[in-house]
Amino acid sequence: MVRLPYSTALTTLFSYGLLFAFGHLRDFFRRIIDSRKPTTNLKDYAPICLGHEDFYTRRLFNRVQDCCNRPIASAPDAWIDVIERYSNDGNKTIHRTSKTSRCLNLGSYNYLGFAAADEYCTPRVIESLKKYSASTCSVRVDGGNTKLHIELEELVARFVGKPAAILLGMGYATNSTIIPALIGKGGLIISDSLNHNSIVNGARGSGAAVRVFQHNNIAHLEEVLREQIAQGQPRTHRPWNKIIVIVEGIYSMEGELCKLPEVISVCKKYKAYTYLDEAHSIGAIGKSGRGVCDLLGVDPADVDIMMGTFTKSFGSCGGYIAASKEIIHHLKQTCPAHIYATSMSPPAVQQVISAIKVILGEDGTNRGAKKLAQIRENSNFFRSELKKMGFEVLGDNDSPVMPIMLYNPAKIPSFSRECLRLNVAAVVVAFPATPLLLSRARICISASHTREDLIKGLEVLSKAGDVSGIKYFPVEQEKTTAVEKLKKIQ
Amino acid sequence: MYPGVWTTYILILFFSWLLVLSVFGCTPGTAWTVVNLFHFAITYHFFHWKKGTPFADDQGMYNGLTWWEQMDNGKQLTRNRKFLIVVPVVLYLIALHTTDYQQPMLFLNTLAVGVLVVAKLPNMHKVRIFGINAEN
Repeated sequence: MVRLPYSTALTTLFSYGLLFAFGHLRDFFRRIIDSRKPTTNLKDYAPICLGHEDFYTRRLFNRVQDCCNRPIASAPDAWIDVIERYSNDGNKTIHRTSKTSRCLNLGSYNYLGFAAADEYCTPRVIESLKKYSASTCSVRVDGGNTKLHIELEELVARFVGKPAAILLGMGYATNSTIIPALIGKGGLIISDSLNHNSIVNGARGSGAAVRVFQHNNIAHLEEVLREQIAQGQPRTHRPWNKIIVIVEGIYSMEGELCKLPEVISVCKKYKAYTYLDEAHSIGAIGKSGRGVCDLLGVDPADVDIMMGTFTKSFGSCGGYIAASKEIIHHLKQTCPAHIYATSMSPPAVQQVISAIKVILGEDGTNRGAKKLAQIRENSNFFRSELKKMGFEVLGDNDSPVMPIMLYNPAKIPSFSRECLRLNVAAVVVAFPATPLLLSRARICISASHTREDLIKGLEVLSKAGDVSGIKYFPVEQEKTTAVEKLKKIQ
Repeated sequence: MYPGVWTTYILILFFSWLLVLSVFGCTPGTAWTVVNLFHFAITYHFFHWKKGTPFADDQGMYNGLTWWEQMDNGKQLTRNRKFLIVVPVVLYLIALHTTDYQQPMLFLNTLAVGVLVVAKLPNMHKVRIFGINAEN
């Protein structure tokens, strides 16, 4: 059951109904007009796409596709150059101009500010580019295993608190190729209902049975575990080979943390393995940046497999799995992305090594600790100010991801375009990444945002929010002058 | 699954009745008959004629099933299905009552509700009469 205010549900359903009706009306007339055109020379071939299959893409998504796929022309730092585009036919085709506009970047996963040039990381990355060149041109097991890769695996294992780690070239591929290597037919995967598509893909590709438990609902997880252990495999009722419970550290569409201590205790009670996907939380939360285990006080030895990506907090690309030596040894021999995919690019590896060293303070300065304190402060400030303005903001405190609820399909492009007009680049998400009625704008805060940047962002979001009418909660009266007061302090 | 779907449906019917009344300036009974017939045409086309889904992601898995058959994963007589069977019947009763059971309206309304209710019965699941609408 999806939770939202009843009147908002009615208006949103009505809007979707109207869009649907107009889409069908346009399709109807298009079919009449196109029936007079000559048929193509591909007679007797089956159509690539049946007319009704891409209805959603053609009639709903294409109308607002200028809010997606915006090309950028600079590094995704706190400020970003967005290329201006125009369309002459109602967003069916969009053309780039040669002008760019400098916008405040509230959309990139740049949690610690490593996405742009950094005084410690960038010289070392350029050095490694000169020494190792841009690609290893080989797979890890052939000729692509450089000294940097081994150093990074050891460093990641030490950072996360596990005995060993394995690196892979892409975060999505990490989940979708490691899960099939860990579990197969006869096993059971229990995954949170809001898990990322890469986990869903990996779970489906593994051949194991998949059950879903309600998001962050520990009682339901226990119920599912008890039922499945009692029933066993379908039809034969033999016991399951193994049971893996998959949760994420921070859920990127909700900005919420998972209830890790409770999940671990339930899994220990029923002897199930735990797989923690820390794509958004590693490096961004916790006192020393070690992710959700650090923040919630969970011993990393209690989580069986910890997965993470380097795209978000470390400014690079790729993913890792950290686990016991035996599991990593097994994965290195069975995971297809390790054996057949090209290894990570050496400058990207060096970027992660340098970024982790900065976070740990091993570069000789305390910039890492300052960045971690900065992002925590920035996130809490921004979230509390947004709530005071009356926006409906999801997510827990300390989480740098904050979705702002939009609900209505018309508010999605309105909010996005208004923000872009006022030079703020914000990301909006709609169906099918979120449930149909729960579209949202997702703000990602970075440690490289200064207080002035955040205040400017708040002003623009407030104006765009007024234009789109998304301030669903009452404004806190005595604090409405908070923004002006803050400006005076500056 | 989503709150407010039934209410939106009923409100759309009610507001379209008001719209028909204001545009055509006819008696309330004729307006209800017009709403009933449009409702018949639209819901028949979308629930029992069109097949497949508006998304390409499922790779045509449901291309042989109408939307009525896909609802609730093919489970019969769920709450949603019962509600959607009741709505045309209630509309029929309102239309007949407001037109005082007069002749041309009586026949058209009865035809509409007859076709709709028969199409929604559990025994008609995946049935294609005379092979009409059987191709994917």
